[in-house]
Amino acid sequence: MISYLVFFACIVLILSLLTLGLNLQWGFTGLFNAGVVGFYAIGAYTHAILTASPQPQYLGNFGLPWLVGVLAAMAATALAGWLIGLVTIRLRGDYLAIATFGVAVSIQLVTLNWEPLTGGSQGLTRIGKPFAQLFETPFGFNLWFLGLMIVILGTTYWALDRVLLSPWGRVLKAIREDETAAVALGKSARRFRLEAFVLGSTLMGLAGALYVSFIGFVSPFDFLPIVTFQVWAMLIVGGSGNNRGAVLGALVVWGIWAGSGVAVTKLVPPSRAAQGAAIQVILIGLLLVLVLLFRPRGLIGEAAVVSRHVND
Amino acid sequence: MERRGRSAVVSAVALVAGVLAAAPAAAQTCPVKIGGVLPLTGSMAPITKKIAQAAELAIEHVNAGGGVKGCPVQFILRDDQGQPTVGVDAAKYLVEVERVPAFTGTISSGVTGPIIASVTAPSKVVQITCCSTASPFTLDGRSGGYFFRTIPTSKTQAYATASETARRGMKKTVVVYINTDFGTDMLRFYKAAVAKLGGEVIAEVPYNDNQPSYRAEVTKALAAKPESLLLIGFPKDAVTIVREWLSLGGTKSIALNNSMRTMDFVNGVGAKFVEDVFGMDNAQVAGPHVDAFNKAFEEKFQADTKGPGVHTQYDALMVMALAMNISKDLTGPSIKDAVRRVHVPNGTPVGTGPAEFKKAVELIKAGKPIKYFGATGPIEFDANGDVTGPALVWKIKDGQIVTDRSITIEDMQTLFKRVEN
Amino acid sequence: MIQALADGILTGAIIALGAIGVTFTLGIMRFANFAHSELLTWGAYIALVVVAFAGPGTPTGPLSFGWQLLAAALVAAVLTGFAAWAVDVLVFRRLRRRGALPLTMVFAAFGAALVMRHLIVLIWGHESRYYTRELQLAVELLPGARMLPDQIFILGLALAAMIVLHAFLAWSRTGIAMRAMAESPALAQVCGVEVDAVVRLTWIISGALAAFAGVFTGLTPQLHPEIGFNLLLSLFAAAILGGTGSLAGAVVGGFLVGLGENLSLLVISPGYKGAMPFLLLLVILIVRPQGIFGDKA
Repeated sequence: MISYLVFFACIVLILSLLTLGLNLQWGFTGLFNAGVVGFYAIGAYTHAILTASPQPQYLGNFGLPWLVGVLAAMAATALAGWLIGLVTIRLRGDYLAIATFGVAVSIQLVTLNWEPLTGGSQGLTRIGKPFAQLFETPFGFNLWFLGLMIVILGTTYWALDRVLLSPWGRVLKAIREDETAAVALGKSARRFRLEAFVLGSTLMGLAGALYVSFIGFVSPFDFLPIVTFQVWAMLIVGGSGNNRGAVLGALVVWGIWAGSGVAVTKLVPPSRAAQGAAIQVILIGLLLVLVLLFRPRGLIGEAAVVSRHVND
Repeated sequence: MERRGRSAVVSAVALVAGVLAAAPAAAQTCPVKIGGVLPLTGSMAPITKKIAQAAELAIEHVNAGGGVKGCPVQFILRDDQGQPTVGVDAAKYLVEVERVPAFTGTISSGVTGPIIASVTAPSKVVQITCCSTASPFTLDGRSGGYFFRTIPTSKTQAYATASETARRGMKKTVVVYINTDFGTDMLRFYKAAVAKLGGEVIAEVPYNDNQPSYRAEVTKALAAKPESLLLIGFPKDAVTIVREWLSLGGTKSIALNNSMRTMDFVNGVGAKFVEDVFGMDNAQVAGPHVDAFNKAFEEKFQADTKGPGVHTQYDALMVMALAMNISKDLTGPSIKDAVRRVHVPNGTPVGTGPAEFKKAVELIKAGKPIKYFGATGPIEFDANGDVTGPALVWKIKDGQIVTDRSITIEDMQTLFKRVEN
Repeated sequence: MIQALADGILTGAIIALGAIGVTFTLGIMRFANFAHSELLTWGAYIALVVVAFAGPGTPTGPLSFGWQLLAAALVAAVLTGFAAWAVDVLVFRRLRRRGALPLTMVFAAFGAALVMRHLIVLIWGHESRYYTRELQLAVELLPGARMLPDQIFILGLALAAMIVLHAFLAWSRTGIAMRAMAESPALAQVCGVEVDAVVRLTWIISGALAAFAGVFTGLTPQLHPEIGFNLLLSLFAAAILGGTGSLAGAVVGGFLVGLGENLSLLVISPGYKGAMPFLLLLVILIVRPQGIFGDKA
C-alpha cells in the first residue's frame, strides 16, 4: 500500500511540474498553450536519447549520466520553446491554442516516424535512472525518487514564487491584465511573453525527463493529446494563477483518474468491466463539469493582489 | 480563501486515501488474486470486449477446476484506457495494493512497454500478455524473464504470410500497414521473407489508426499500380480501407493478418466482396482442446470465438493458473520458473475446460509433469518467453470464415530455416 | 494527383459541414466547443435508430441508399439540434450566467464530450455499425479521378446546405442578428437583438449541420463511438483557418484542410498526415493571424 502511494505521489509530483509550467504560461501570462504534451515529449526524448544504454540499431542511446540528460532535456525544451514561441506568440487566444496543439501533434508524429533516433513505435528502454543501482527494491528506488521529486518541486515552487514577486513577474501580470497600459509604461509585451513561454516550456521539459527516468521506458504513445487535456484539467480544477492550486489540481485530478478506476473495479464484477469502464469515464467528465459549475475559478482561485498603499 | 484551500487539500487526500483504503490488506490466503490490465475503453476497446470475455471464461474454468492451491481465484481487471500512464498506475496498483504475484495484459505495446520497465521487471512479478507482439520485449532481456506472451511474435506470422503469398504467386504487392510496432515489425519480417521465398513489395504505405477516412492512403497505394495488397492492421480501420480500396478499383487479391479473422471484418466489408481474400492466423486449426474452448465460449457468450486475442488470452490465464499450482509458493520468481513447466515434453497431456484443469491440478499434486494444450495449441515457451505455434491460412467462403490449410509447427520450423538460413 | 484533388474535395465537404458549427460557437458564444464532435456522433447514431426502424431503403438510382436514410438524416438533424441546445441549457448557459471565463467553458465542453461519447458506448457498445451493407464501385468522373455516386450526392447536398445557410444569414432578420452577435455581442444587444433566441438558434443550426456531417461520415462506411472525435482536430483547424465566426471561412477552411490532407501525401509519408492541417494552419496564421476571412480584431 505504502509502496503504491509513494509511486502515486511521484507521478502526481511530475504532473505538478507540468501544471506549474502551464500555470506560468496561462495563469500568470495568459498564453493559451494547448501543446503541453509536445514540450513534455521533447524533454522526455532528449533525456531518453542521451541516457539510454547503447544499442547498435539506434543513432542515439549514448548512455550518458542521468544529470546530463536532465539538464540537456531542459536546454532542448527551452530552445524548442523559444523557436516555437518566436513563430506563434503573437497569435492570440484560441489561435495560439490551435497552433501549439498542432505543434504538439507534429512532435508526436516525429517521435513515431523517426525510427533510427526515437525507436519509432517500439520506443526506447533502459533509460538513465538516478542512482538506480544503489537500490535493490523498486520501493527503495521509488522512495528515493519521491525525495528527489520533493526537492525538485519544492525548489521550483520556491523559485517561481520569487520570480513572480520580482519586477519581472509583476510585469507579466500587468501585461495579462492590461497590455496597453503595460506597453505604455515602456515594457515590451512580446519579449516578456516569450520569456514566460520559454520558462514554462522548460519546466515541462524537465517533467518529461523526470517521467521517463522514473518509468525507464518511452514511446510515442506517452504523448497523445489526452495528456495536454489532463494537465489543463488539473490547472483549471486547482485554480489557475495560483501555484498552490496547480499542485492541488494535479493531486485531485490524477487522484480521481486513478481512484475512479479502483472504485469501478471494486464495485463492478469483471464480466461487466467494459460497461464499468465507460461509466468511469462518464463520471470523470461529470465531475469536471460539476467542479467548473460550482467552483468556476477552481478549488483555490487566484489570490487577489492589492497594493499595500491602497489604504494610505 | 486560505481555509477553503486547506480543506480542499484535506478532502482530496481523504478521497484518495479512502478509495485506496477500501482495498483489503494484502494477505496471501484465500482467495488467490490474479490481476488483469486491458484497454476496456479507448480506441482498442472494440477488440477488447471478446478478449475480456475469454479472460472471464478462463477464470471460471480455473475456479470450476479447483482454483489455485485449493483456493478460488479472484480476478481483478483494470482498464488502461489505452494510455500508458493509466496502465502503469493500474499495474502498480495490482502489484502493490492487491499484491497479485502475476497479471495478464495488455494489448497496446505502448502500454505494455512501460509496464514491463517500471512494474514487471523491478517488482519481479509475472506478466503474460495475450496480444502485445513488439519483438524487442522478449528479445533484449529487459523483463528479466518475467514477461511471457501466448501470441507468437510478428515474425512467425510474417514468415507464414510470405510463404502463402509466394505459394499463391502474388506479385507486385503493396503493403498497407498500421504505423505501430506491430505493423512495422510485420512489414520488416515480411519483406525479409519475401526476398527469400519469392514475390516483390512495390510500395509500402503506413497509416495512423483512428482516422475518419483513408482515401489518401489508398490513393497513394493504388498509384503504384499494384497487382495485390497485403493489409496489416485491425478490423475497424481495415473495413474502411478495404472498402475504399475496392471502390477505387483496387484488386481483389488481398492478403490479411490475423486480426481480420473476425466476422466484424467480413460483414463490415461485405462478404461477397471479399471472396478472394485470405489471411493468416496463429491458432491451431482444430483438435479437441481448441473445440472445447470454442464450444464453452459460444455457449456462455452467444458469440463466436473469431477475433484477435481471444484464444491467446484464454491460454494466458490458463498457463498462469497452472504455473501458480506448480509453483512451490505464490511469489513472482517461483511462478516465473513454473511457467516453463506447464508444457513438459514427457508430461501427461492436459487441455482446456474445467475438467481438464482439474485433471492437471491432480497431476500436479501427485508431483507428475503436465503438457498443456491450449486454445491455440501446444503452449511451449522458448528461452525468451515466446511461443512458436502453428499457423493457419483462412479464407472466406459463402460468407463464412473457413480454414484453407494449416501450417504445422514442423512446416514452420522449416520455413524459419529457409528464411534465416 | 487528380484523384487526390477529388478525394480532398469530398473530405473537405464533410469537414466544412462540421466546421460551420465550430466557427459559430467560436464567433457567437466565444469559446471553443470541444463537445461539437460528439454532436456528429450523436447525429449519426440517431439516424441509425431511425434506419433500424425504417431500413436504409432500396438503393435509388446509383445511390446505395433510399429516401429512408435521407429522412433519417433529417430527423437526426432536428433532434441533434435540440440536443445541442439542451447541452447549452444544462451546462454552458449556467456557466455564462456565472460569468465563467472562456477557458472554463472549454473545459466544461471537454467534460461534456467525455460524457456524451461514453454514453454512446454504454448504449450501443464499441462495435461498428452500418447504415447499409452495399458497396459501391467508383465511377471514373474525369480521367484519373474516381468518385462514388454517394459521395457526389453528399457533396451536392453539403453545398446546398451551405448555400441555404448563407442565404439565411444574409437576408433573414434572425440571420442578420446572428451575424451581428458574431461581430460584437455587446453592440448587438444594444441594438435590441434577443440574445437568448440567437444563442438557441445557433445551437440548433450547429447541431443540425453536425448531424448531417455525422451521417455522411457514417455512410463511408461505418459508425463507431469515436467517429466524431476522430474528426475533431480537422474541424477546429478548418474553423480557425477560415477565421472564426465566418461561414465562408469555415467552408473554405474545410476544403483547404481536406485538400491539404490528401495532396500532402503525394510528397510526404502518410505517417505525417495528421500534422498536415496544422502545418497549413500555421503557415496561414503567420501570414494572416486572424484567419482567411476573419476580421482584424
